[in-house]
Amino acid sequence: MALEGTLQDMSLSDLLQIFRLGPKSGILVLNGGDERGVIYVAEGRLVDAALMHTDRSVSAVQEEAVIRMLLWENAAFIFRHDLAVCQRPSKISHDSEWIVMEGMRRRDDPARALPYHTLSLDTQLQLSPLPSSAENGVSLDVNQWRILSQVPSCPNLRTICEATGIPPAQAIRTIAELMAIGLVEVVIPHVPKPRPQQRPAAPAGMLQAGTLEPGFAGAVATAMGGAPDTPQVGRGLIDAIMRRVRGL
Amino acid sequence: MQALKIVVTGCYSAGKTHFIRTLSDIETVSTDYAVTLDEERQLKRETTVALDFGTIAINEHLNLYLFGTPGQERFDFMWEHLSIGCLGYVVMVDSTRPGHFAETQRLMDRFAEITDAPFVVAANKQDDPAALPVSYVRRRLSVPLSVPVLSCTATDRPSAKLVLLGLLKQIAARHQESYPQQA
Repeated sequence: MALEGTLQDMSLSDLLQIFRLGPKSGILVLNGGDERGVIYVAEGRLVDAALMHTDRSVSAVQEEAVIRMLLWENAAFIFRHDLAVCQRPSKISHDSEWIVMEGMRRRDDPARALPYHTLSLDTQLQLSPLPSSAENGVSLDVNQWRILSQVPSCPNLRTICEATGIPPAQAIRTIAELMAIGLVEVVIPHVPKPRPQQRPAAPAGMLQAGTLEPGFAGAVATAMGGAPDTPQVGRGLIDAIMRRVRGL
Repeated sequence: MQALKIVVTGCYSAGKTHFIRTLSDIETVSTDYAVTLDEERQLKRETTVALDFGTIAINEHLNLYLFGTPGQERFDFMWEHLSIGCLGYVVMVDSTRPGHFAETQRLMDRFAEITDAPFVVAANKQDDPAALPVSYVRRRLSVPLSVPVLSCTATDRPSAKLVLLGLLKQIAARHQESYPQQA
């Protein structure tokens, strides 16, 4: 029982945000090839971390270790729930938002830290619906505040740039930083539903309009304007199925 | 005996077989075979190559059939056959494997091409304390707010029931849109 993947599947900043919001307790192990990292998480707070070479010599500890892991392009990770971590003394004084922000500041291109998001001037943004933890001590610079204040009222990044006068490249970099600490997220675009392909009729035996027993014939109607093979069942029949499922 | 069909889909090792076994009245019919690919064998020893099949008897005249699709994309030719005539479908996703999200998105896109039946997403393995939260699963899969993303533990019957009921509510809502005079 563990959360497993790679940093291409899920960035380290995302992981730290999930731990904070959970809040979760356990041990995160990252294998980056030449180096191996361990982060201890107690009720969402980072309490200790270490970065080791393959010969087990320690190359960084605590905040510096996490920041260096944030700069990795890829690594396999595994997070195991472990309440015993809560008994460890805390050796990390900064909260995870500060550490993520520091990691983003050290990056040449913070947008590359978001492997599954592509930011452009047409990207629609919104404030994250998940409030950050109350005790966080993240400090935003002036440009971060200016952009953050425009997110609720501007439909996309282009209008944020126009409203603030911040150059697009800098705005994209700043948005990436705000996304990494969980203050801003990309709006999921509304994709019009593709029209289902025409297909052969349903096999014999499956419910089709007009094939029900007399007692249910009134409850079933042919799909009106939908796919010809999608049966529309009557509300009474749906209620009967729901009652049966509730009674399982 | 008449039949209604619900399809349970999702990528490899998402928990489709467990979900059907948990809800079915009968001992489910599975077509599991030993896994041949090494990377897949790390996740499970057997996999569904044709379909899983379970039933819930609604009454003496009517059965609700649950069909599980094979998870691997190389068996996607089965998906279209299984979705013919379905009332709706459940997309299962493993909440502890973010590496499967991209494949699940492709699967959801493919199903949207095949059928316009209502669906829900079941964020499975939520009994694991390390599991990703449902809100994160929704965001990463880009699931619109009109589609429920439900917490699920496929091996737990009350949890699996809530997912199935969530789908039935979606089917009822679709029916009400189509036939408002019957509401």
